[in-house]
Amino acid sequence: MHPAILGLVTIAIGVGGCVGYFYLSNMVLDHVIFPARGPNAGKNINRANQIRPWLFLFPALFALCLYLAYPVVETLRLSLTDRDAGGAFVGLANYTQMMSEAKFWEAMRNNMLWLIVVPALSTAFGLLAAQLTDRIRWGNLAKSLIFMPMAISFVGAAVIWKLVYDARPAGTDQIGILNAVYIWMTGAEPQTWLTLPFWNSFFLMAVLVWIQTGFAMVILSAALRGIPEETVEAAIVDGAGPMQIFFKIKVPQIKSTIMVVWTTITLVVLKVFDIVFAMTNGQWETQVLANYMYDKLFRSNDWGVGSASAMVIMLLVLPILIWNVRNARQEMR
Amino acid sequence: MHSKRFGKTLKVFQIAKECAHPGGVLPWEDDIMFSRYLLGAASAALVAGSASAADLTIFGPWLGPDEAQVQKVIDVFRADTGLDVAYVGSDSFEQQIMIDAEAGSAPNIAIFPQPGLAADMAARGFLTPLAEGTGDWVRDNYAAGQSWVDLGTYADKDGADNLYGFFYKVDVKSLVWYLPENFEDAGYEVPQTMEELKALTDQIVADGETPWCIGLGSGGATGWPATDWVEDMMLRTQSPDVYDQWVKNEISFDDPRVVAAIEEFGAFARKDDYVAGGANAVAATDFRDSPKGIFASPPQCYMHRQASFIPAFFPEGTEVGVDADFFYFPAYAEKDLGAPVLGAGTLWAITNDDPAAHQFIEFLKTPEAHHAWMEQKGFLTPHKGVDPEKFSDPTLRKMNEILLGATTFRFDGSDLMPGGVGAGSFWTGMVDYAGGKDAGAVATEIQNSWDALK
Amino acid sequence: MDNIAGHKSSLSWVVNISVVLLVALWMLPTVGLLVSSFRTADQISTSGWWRALAPSEQNIKIRAKGPDTQVQQGDLFVIEGQLFNETDAEISVWGISSRAIDDFAAGETAELKNGARLTVQADGAYRIEHSEEITGKRGQRIFVTATTPPEFTFDNYDLLLFQGDNTDSMGRAFISTLTVTIPATIIPIVVAAFAAYALAWMDFPGRALLIAFIVGLLVVPLQLALIPLLKLHLSIGIGKGYLGAWLAHTGFGLPLAIYLLRNYMVGLPRDIIENARVDGATEFQIFVKIILPLSFPALASFAIFQFLWTWNDLLVAKVFLIDSTGQTTVMTNRIVELLGTRGGNWEILATAAFVSIAVPLAVFFAMQKYLVRGLLAGSVK
Repeated sequence: MHPAILGLVTIAIGVGGCVGYFYLSNMVLDHVIFPARGPNAGKNINRANQIRPWLFLFPALFALCLYLAYPVVETLRLSLTDRDAGGAFVGLANYTQMMSEAKFWEAMRNNMLWLIVVPALSTAFGLLAAQLTDRIRWGNLAKSLIFMPMAISFVGAAVIWKLVYDARPAGTDQIGILNAVYIWMTGAEPQTWLTLPFWNSFFLMAVLVWIQTGFAMVILSAALRGIPEETVEAAIVDGAGPMQIFFKIKVPQIKSTIMVVWTTITLVVLKVFDIVFAMTNGQWETQVLANYMYDKLFRSNDWGVGSASAMVIMLLVLPILIWNVRNARQEMR
Repeated sequence: MHSKRFGKTLKVFQIAKECAHPGGVLPWEDDIMFSRYLLGAASAALVAGSASAADLTIFGPWLGPDEAQVQKVIDVFRADTGLDVAYVGSDSFEQQIMIDAEAGSAPNIAIFPQPGLAADMAARGFLTPLAEGTGDWVRDNYAAGQSWVDLGTYADKDGADNLYGFFYKVDVKSLVWYLPENFEDAGYEVPQTMEELKALTDQIVADGETPWCIGLGSGGATGWPATDWVEDMMLRTQSPDVYDQWVKNEISFDDPRVVAAIEEFGAFARKDDYVAGGANAVAATDFRDSPKGIFASPPQCYMHRQASFIPAFFPEGTEVGVDADFFYFPAYAEKDLGAPVLGAGTLWAITNDDPAAHQFIEFLKTPEAHHAWMEQKGFLTPHKGVDPEKFSDPTLRKMNEILLGATTFRFDGSDLMPGGVGAGSFWTGMVDYAGGKDAGAVATEIQNSWDALK
Repeated sequence: MDNIAGHKSSLSWVVNISVVLLVALWMLPTVGLLVSSFRTADQISTSGWWRALAPSEQNIKIRAKGPDTQVQQGDLFVIEGQLFNETDAEISVWGISSRAIDDFAAGETAELKNGARLTVQADGAYRIEHSEEITGKRGQRIFVTATTPPEFTFDNYDLLLFQGDNTDSMGRAFISTLTVTIPATIIPIVVAAFAAYALAWMDFPGRALLIAFIVGLLVVPLQLALIPLLKLHLSIGIGKGYLGAWLAHTGFGLPLAIYLLRNYMVGLPRDIIENARVDGATEFQIFVKIILPLSFPALASFAIFQFLWTWNDLLVAKVFLIDSTGQTTVMTNRIVELLGTRGGNWEILATAAFVSIAVPLAVFFAMQKYLVRGLLAGSVK
């Protein structure tokens, strides 16, 4: 079947099916099971209203449980089994094997580095950009341009930055900007940036910072605008300089938003796969957990260790999950 | 009365709606549209279900110019049988084929560059044995037919041996490519022994030029060219028995003899002056790009060690044999190991049984199938029944002679090792080595990964 | 605020300049790629894109015409020709040996090995003269260092988009990506809208718990779901394909959709809904005729988010969609392949990258307002 036609059919079935389901189930509920007529009309209406939310929620809940909740449990289970042994339970053998691999620790170390550097830099640049662009007339245009990388796929960004990092042999003209600037400033030989041990991770991180800064900027800009003017005016009257105003007055007031931005970017960092995959594929010690997991899953066909590494990612994400859920519940009350 | 009041509420919110969504009736508000919509979807589903897909799907590792060439071969089949054949190539063939076999969406025919990987799949029950009599045919019609049958025979899920792989397209790997005119300009002679080759290398460096172009990049398969180097050096420093033991892991991967072979490769690739772009560029350069250095002006390098399929990636208009030529990657004169040749081939196996697939394998037995690629670039074959005049250039004829006349011929070792090593840790280990890691450490890691697979 | 403090204009100058620098820094990489996609392969490999407007100096190796084209002029055997057919380049130095490519200046004459004399002019015209018949098979190699004027071309785009047979073609990947994206954007919206309404406006026990559950699921990394879901798809017979990808994207996009839509719906005016209920409308009617239209901004926000996310996705496509029949591929995957096979051909790579980001960028610029609004929902506290 031509995929475009399959797509249209799916949209039709999906949308039509959903709407049909809701319409029909509501009708059945209201007219057949608990009709709003006769002696029990009141009780029926009440019962119908009690059940109705679950009708509305059912497709979504089903999809969520199947696609997100069940996998968590299943991955946990898979990480305790060995595929080659026919799925036999092997306890923590996968974990011990994973932890004995140097590549795993390299991935952990790199992820820690990414987790420290990227959210910090993105938030810092975002804050800077937000503050600066709020004060000028063409601020919205500037914001658009800085935000633009968020629309680009990670793979597209990888290509863009690969050109920036390109290295030609010494003596020939460089086509990568970084090398051109480096040679112009220091006169040294061109470097193959992505193969330099330890520093190449930072060059990869630059790509993610480039993308996420726009996100941080947009959110922090809205937060900054939400700061009541009186506090700032009072500080100016007291003789505070712009730097003091910024750090001692504005930043503390938007602390909770900074936290939100920080944690959201942290989540993105833990999931980053495309950038490393497209630019170095984990070579030259740039391996990260998401890439390591993909490797184990599809290159070595080792679902046990692959699942184990996925659980490690889940573990790293857990604190944020708990924090978010706690916040949500507090808001409910 | 109820509906009247609802009507008023409705009016109030119509205004609100206009603010949110100016203009237009929303689709779900129009009942007639809705039912027409559902009807259309149903009929589309019925019609679309009858559409057809390709009659035969083939999945292989070739992309770019190589892909264009294999399409020409398949064109002959298409013309002969009228079947619709789809060929798809991928840089990460080794990973993709495993996933697809498990997913049940395997192609009809898969082209394996690695017998080791095919053996893995046969053991999992994903391959279909070739038709009866194919084994005998290969024995009679291929030079050294028995070896080609052996290379294509694996154990299935129950341990029984079957012939699964048919070899079509063979490569000779122990070749060094160069530009004769460049050698002439510089006054260099083609080296006949390894000692002479090393001396030539040093000479070129002394002249202020760069001798070698080496590139390991290959997408998901990055690192495989280095394994070829190591295998070639292994054949030139040790006897063929040691090579066989190494490939079967009867000697450990970190045996000093293997480590020495790795370091022989490093003697060429890890010195910044010896390789174009410096040692760091080796793993970062794609293997399809690296030969271009020979053709550059001024030349970025003088020699490129690579298999017989590489002319497909030479600049357009290059006449192989005249503009670019090869010489045999020499052996040590003093070690007395003869003239060993490393080679490889692609084996075609049936991963999703279909009569059309068997038909295609039959087609591959015909001389026409081999002629179709012989007329293009970078193709060799052990088929005894082909007309050597059909080779597109005399170098291929020369190579075929090398193939048939080697004192020792060995199949690419990494292709024979199990997939997790030969298409996994050996590749990544070599990239690490090219980047500066210690040979012994790399070898030990590879051995560990091999142990983990057992 | 600025006026109150009597801001000096110099400070605003500093701010303006620093913003200019910041924006320039952010735009630089993308601009570089865009410019490169319009240059020819030769020019890209010899000069950086920032020199695109300046003439570039290249080292070229050209073979003169062969001895079979020689003519006899008087008692001399002559081969004449032009090294450049299209571009008007200017030769500065040239040579006849790969070892010495700058031996001669333009206009000078060289003595060849077989005794012939070769003259190369600055505009590329050359002349080989010999008193005897010139022998040999191939023409003489001439190494020139030439300055070519900047050349911009649409050829790269033409090659990539319109030459359908080409193995680099992106056309099929484009359609394929569209086929993945559109259903994967529309279906989650429908499912999530109903659920969000229930969570926002219907009172039932366990509501708070469910909301917390969804907030929790927002955080679950999709890597966790890959293996079990692939196994599930394989076992129920969906295998790999569009259907699997649509279901996966729907599942992964639902938490965000429900969260965004619920947050928005909670803010809708309570009275309209209450009045409608009192007036006797059913919940379904309220939802369809009141809530949905009013929630349009939130729906649009999520639609854009989901569209960008699915269009730019690589991992879900690689796991659930792409198989070896070649009928299914997405643009991000094509680019990863090109990075490998054409890693050195920046003109193809740059063009392919731009073709793939053209649509998201267009959507982004057109619908920026909604995208920002979506981001802000629930983020600012």
